[in-house]
Amino acid sequence: MTAEKKTVSIYVMGKQSEVPYGVTIMKAMEYAGYRFIRGCGCRGGFCGACGTVYRKPGNFRLKVGLACATMVEDGMHLTQIPFYPANKAVYNLEALEPTLGTLLKYYPEITRCLGCNQCTRICPQELPVMNYIATAQRGDIEATAHQSFDCIMCGLCASRCPAEIVQYNVGILARRLYGRHIAPRAKHLAERVDEIRAGKFDAELDRLMQMSKEELQKLYNARDIEQ
Amino acid sequence: MSIPYFPGCTLHVKAKDLDDSTRAALAALGLELTELPEWTCCGAVFPLAQDNYMGMVAAARILANAAKLGDGRLVTVCSFCYHVLKRVNFAFRNRTEARNKLNEYLEEHYNGEVTLLHPLELIRDDVGFDVLQDRVYRRLKGLKVACYYGCTLSRPAEEMGFGEPENPTIMEELVAALGAEPVGFSWKTKCCGSYQVLNNAALAADRAQAVLEAASRQGAHVIITSCPLCRYNLERLPVGAAGKGESEARLPVLYFTQLLGIALQLPATTLGLDSHYLDALKEARA
Amino acid sequence: MVVTCTVKVAGNTPCTNDAEERGRCVVTGAEMTREVKAISGQNPYLCMQCGLCSASCTGVGFMDLLPRKVMRLVQLGDKKLLENRAIWLCSTCLTCTARCPRGLDVSRVMEALRVINLRKGTEVLAPEGIPEELLTEIPQMALTSGFRKLSS
Repeated sequence: MTAEKKTVSIYVMGKQSEVPYGVTIMKAMEYAGYRFIRGCGCRGGFCGACGTVYRKPGNFRLKVGLACATMVEDGMHLTQIPFYPANKAVYNLEALEPTLGTLLKYYPEITRCLGCNQCTRICPQELPVMNYIATAQRGDIEATAHQSFDCIMCGLCASRCPAEIVQYNVGILARRLYGRHIAPRAKHLAERVDEIRAGKFDAELDRLMQMSKEELQKLYNARDIEQ
Repeated sequence: MSIPYFPGCTLHVKAKDLDDSTRAALAALGLELTELPEWTCCGAVFPLAQDNYMGMVAAARILANAAKLGDGRLVTVCSFCYHVLKRVNFAFRNRTEARNKLNEYLEEHYNGEVTLLHPLELIRDDVGFDVLQDRVYRRLKGLKVACYYGCTLSRPAEEMGFGEPENPTIMEELVAALGAEPVGFSWKTKCCGSYQVLNNAALAADRAQAVLEAASRQGAHVIITSCPLCRYNLERLPVGAAGKGESEARLPVLYFTQLLGIALQLPATTLGLDSHYLDALKEARA
Repeated sequence: MVVTCTVKVAGNTPCTNDAEERGRCVVTGAEMTREVKAISGQNPYLCMQCGLCSASCTGVGFMDLLPRKVMRLVQLGDKKLLENRAIWLCSTCLTCTARCPRGLDVSRVMEALRVINLRKGTEVLAPEGIPEELLTEIPQMALTSGFRKLSS
């Protein structure tokens, strides 16, 4: 590729488009005339709404990325998979027990995992998806919660699973069970809430409420910043 | 000395007592186990279709990860895990096509270098049953034990290498070393019904009942096994489910590692043993 | 000629051999036998019908067709075999395999008959059909093994 080249050729769902070089897949698709109603959210790589699969010339491997965070390349074949059908279990978290039985009750299909590792290979967050399904399968809710913590629920794992598992739903159930029933309560938080309730900070807050905008700005700019 | 260990899914919660008693009993014999840092389900069953390599990938990865640790050995106690890992390892060593295909899916190249060991083999080869005999604190004299291998440990014989396909004897050798008496038990490698408990519970209940009755006829006080599913089927199914009412052949079913732990005088809590088992055993020998 | 293959097990939709299903469905008995040979890697014609497999079988008391007959129908290429429930009652204990005087791996033949069904979506064990008490109580290994052998 020459430095002068200003555009690249991409194929969106098989249709060829010339798009500017150096932009994200999302920008390129908009340039090519696509308008996003779904499959686009934060545009900053966090919300997981714009899962995209693509292949590059000369490589049979299926690649994935978030459309808002992946650059276009010449000859790329791509399509978005912003949603993949998934049944979401409905439960009352308070009433659940943080046990293997609960995981199996809502998602018995986790025991169908074949260990093919395609979910881990495809995860745009580079999470150990297969491993967190393995820990779920053996009832280690804490490990599942930790290993799936950075999941953005894009659903690409579910699109690749030969056992038809919806991994991200299993992950969020584990994180909820962990957060509600397993993680130790934060002692300092409870103490601070008690202090607030007891009115320890009322005077300070009243003082802030009385301040002018300029005073507040000055205070804000002079605040301690944690490194 | 610390040996790589693959517990298997069921041992994390449902058969925690098998995991606990295995670690405790082996530790008491100077054999420390270290759980693999990361592992998945082994697949539980070996795929019998020639062209099903997908069913072997998970076990292949477990073996490849164990190989990375450099010890050259991997210990697993669950009968299903042992069966699958052993056969997949056999395929790596003996079937070129399987080795090539599976390596396509692995992150690390693997050639079957790892030696898979059941704790029974480990005790026999690294401790020795004759040495064990001298280290047993509480001789289980008078206790009649039915050694139940189930269907997965010894078949197919050429792949499993666990003795005769229908008459392995390694568990009896252990029992004898503990001072107990292994009974002649022709049902020792018959199947308990296995996963048919999900598909046809009556079938599994019928088989489990038959196994219990056969052990009882031989005057056994206790059945030992290394399979959590055998234990589940034997303990839970026969009453009622078989339509035969309360079984007269109600025998306690223990993991062999629990019996070993009792003989080594390990505390019941480290063996995951309820006191009612200990009472039952005491009564049996009285 | 319209050949209809009516595999129906445990309430699953029968697979019909109309144009769109062609190629996904074993149609003739001869094709079934060929598939079984390919998938199992066994030569069913080695079977001499001694019946030792039936005598050894774990599930025999619950089967409508005993393993010996299953072997015979594979030899004969009778595609009704695919609809038989006996093939789903095998617990792959490998006793038949250990005992066969002709060295046949009978359990692989049984598995091939299941696999032909499973590969076109005919299954007998569905996660959603398992009662909650059993699901939460049974060792996971039963679920994993059951799904691998009996669900697609």
